[in-house]
Amino acid sequence: MSDPINVRTLPPGTRIVTADGAVAEIVSNPADGVWLFARYVESPSDPALVGQEDMIFAQDVVEVRPT
Amino acid sequence: MATAHVGGYRPGLVDLKTGQISREIFVNEDIYAEEQERVFARAWLYVGHESQVPNPGDFFVSGMGEESVILTRDRAGQVRVFLNSCRHRGMKVCRYDEGNTTVFTCPYHGWSYGTDGRLVGVPYFREAYHSQLDRLQWGLVEVAQTCVHKGTVWATWDKDAPPFLEYLGDFARYLDQMFDSWDGSDGGTEILGGVQKWLVPSNWKFPAENFSGDSYHNISHRSVDMVGAGPSGSGRRDMPELNLARKLHIAIPDRGHQTTAYLLPREVEVPAGYQHSPVVSDYFKKCEEARRQQRGDWGRLITLVGEVFPSMAFLARQPRTIAVWHPRGPHQTEVWRWFLVDKNAPQDVKNFLRDYYIRYSGPAGMTEQDDMENWGYAHKASRGTIARRYSYSYEQGMGTEVDNYEWEGFSLPGSVTDLTQAKSSEHNLRNLYRRWAEFMEASDWDELASWRRAQRAAAE
Amino acid sequence: MSDRDDRFVEMLLTHEIAQFLYREAELLDERRYEAWLALLSDDIRYWMPMRRNVKFGEESREFTREITDINWFDEGKETLTRRVRQIETGIHWAEEPVSRIAHLVTNVQLIEAMPSAAEAREVSVKCRFLIYRNRVETETDILVGKREDLLRRDGDDWKIARRKIILDQNVLLSKNLTFFF
Repeated sequence: MSDPINVRTLPPGTRIVTADGAVAEIVSNPADGVWLFARYVESPSDPALVGQEDMIFAQDVVEVRPT
Repeated sequence: MATAHVGGYRPGLVDLKTGQISREIFVNEDIYAEEQERVFARAWLYVGHESQVPNPGDFFVSGMGEESVILTRDRAGQVRVFLNSCRHRGMKVCRYDEGNTTVFTCPYHGWSYGTDGRLVGVPYFREAYHSQLDRLQWGLVEVAQTCVHKGTVWATWDKDAPPFLEYLGDFARYLDQMFDSWDGSDGGTEILGGVQKWLVPSNWKFPAENFSGDSYHNISHRSVDMVGAGPSGSGRRDMPELNLARKLHIAIPDRGHQTTAYLLPREVEVPAGYQHSPVVSDYFKKCEEARRQQRGDWGRLITLVGEVFPSMAFLARQPRTIAVWHPRGPHQTEVWRWFLVDKNAPQDVKNFLRDYYIRYSGPAGMTEQDDMENWGYAHKASRGTIARRYSYSYEQGMGTEVDNYEWEGFSLPGSVTDLTQAKSSEHNLRNLYRRWAEFMEASDWDELASWRRAQRAAAE
Repeated sequence: MSDRDDRFVEMLLTHEIAQFLYREAELLDERRYEAWLALLSDDIRYWMPMRRNVKFGEESREFTREITDINWFDEGKETLTRRVRQIETGIHWAEEPVSRIAHLVTNVQLIEAMPSAAEAREVSVKCRFLIYRNRVETETDILVGKREDLLRRDGDDWKIARRKIILDQNVLLSKNLTFFF
């Protein structure tokens, strides 16, 4: 289990990895510490998600990719 | 008149034939609970000012009765008012006083709502809810109706309430002065930064009746009249030119709104006030002339304190403020006070007025301080089993009001009492409580909108 | 002067300032308003902003602004003097009968002495306050917060040239502010 990540301050453009292994790029950050608006870049478990925008829950974010 | 112990509201507690009102309506907890339902859940309530939410995503957390509400401007630019409570488990979705946001997120379980109220974020929607939750049904609770009137934002929880302007009726003309520029141009006022909020230990109807037009209580402000907090820095709080005017109490009987006003004579030139500050004196003199020019007879009317039923009070002259009486149980009221200035006034004028507003109004206001002492201890001394058997007297000036009041060829709508000689009357207060009793007794808005029945009868 | 001497001078100044602030509180609690007014410079700014709940990172909007926004207090000596006069009419009902008030002043910190601690003509000083007010029978208010004062040397004594009062409340829990901070 990784340390919890504070998503509140992640700037748009940041790539994050979700619990099911998908990678998404932050489109906008409402800065509520709970949600991110992001676009899927990779999604091994559900390839149909790639290119789609979604709200990602903070507890699903397991890694922040260095830019 | 002594009244026996009552469980809740019943007709007769407000007895306008004898001019007596039972203390129960102020101190009784059952009546308080009933009035939340019958008055605050049905009436139009003041929420805030458009200038507080100029841009999409701007929000201001306000109140409607006991409820916390969010006044916001959604992404489409629409002014919206929502109950500040998560649909999942009730947590406040916004605990900031104001700001700008894209979402209102509940910190408890993470449900998140757009500025249009739609539920947009549900944690583990696919996993825990198996994508079964109908998110469209679980948006923030929105008021039934919203109205932006000359920059002010109003809302009601009742879908059957008449449109806001119909709710105001003839009172709208009297309110113009509150929301228009002093020179008479439409709208044109803005809110100064900072809303005063404080607790007063009395039932909300004490301040409501005070602002409805209780001229009789001037004696309680004698100390400030002596030391002077007036706009010119000394002397009476009023302005000298008002000695030339007719002093009026104006009530709109079927609506429950009322105000006090001065009607200036047609031919007499208005002497300049605010002599200590030439810039301010000059500004008001110019505005006064422009207003008379533009508004004709209506330009001679100077609205003072008044009340839009039930809980929004205003002072249209200086200090120009809006107050809302938020009920916090039968024995406590949270007062919120906004201050307005002409948007286009020179900065010097705004500064001068701001300075005066703070000195006069609010908890540090040299005038308002004494009011709160009176409301608090009047309330406290009315709570006892013995005390509440004895009604208050509202008999002053009964029967002296007239319809179609006219002076110098100018006729005013509403039910008017001329106090130039009489000095005081409780006509406006009786009007407030008449309407309050109607709200407590009426089963629906069809009954409350009595003017519609009158119009229908006239048409037949 | 040695470093040790410098610290000694600063200690004496801090002590002097603290004693001044305690004496001021004493005057208020003893209702010796004329003597209290005499401690205020003619150009004093007496400012108590209101406080907003704002998002983390938006602290610049937490306080209402002096001169620009609505505040709890934002005034000078003339208005403060009028407030005293109002209490002294004996018919200012919000203070008649007068309240029982105690000012506790603590955490006195000398922030800056200008031009130096040894020859201070102006000092800026921070402290905490706790004001206890009890009136009539059971009505009680407790107000806690911070003060930032600018004091100006006046002969052997000091005058208060500026006072910023930071009350740690959002909705004011007192029905009025008829007393001085």
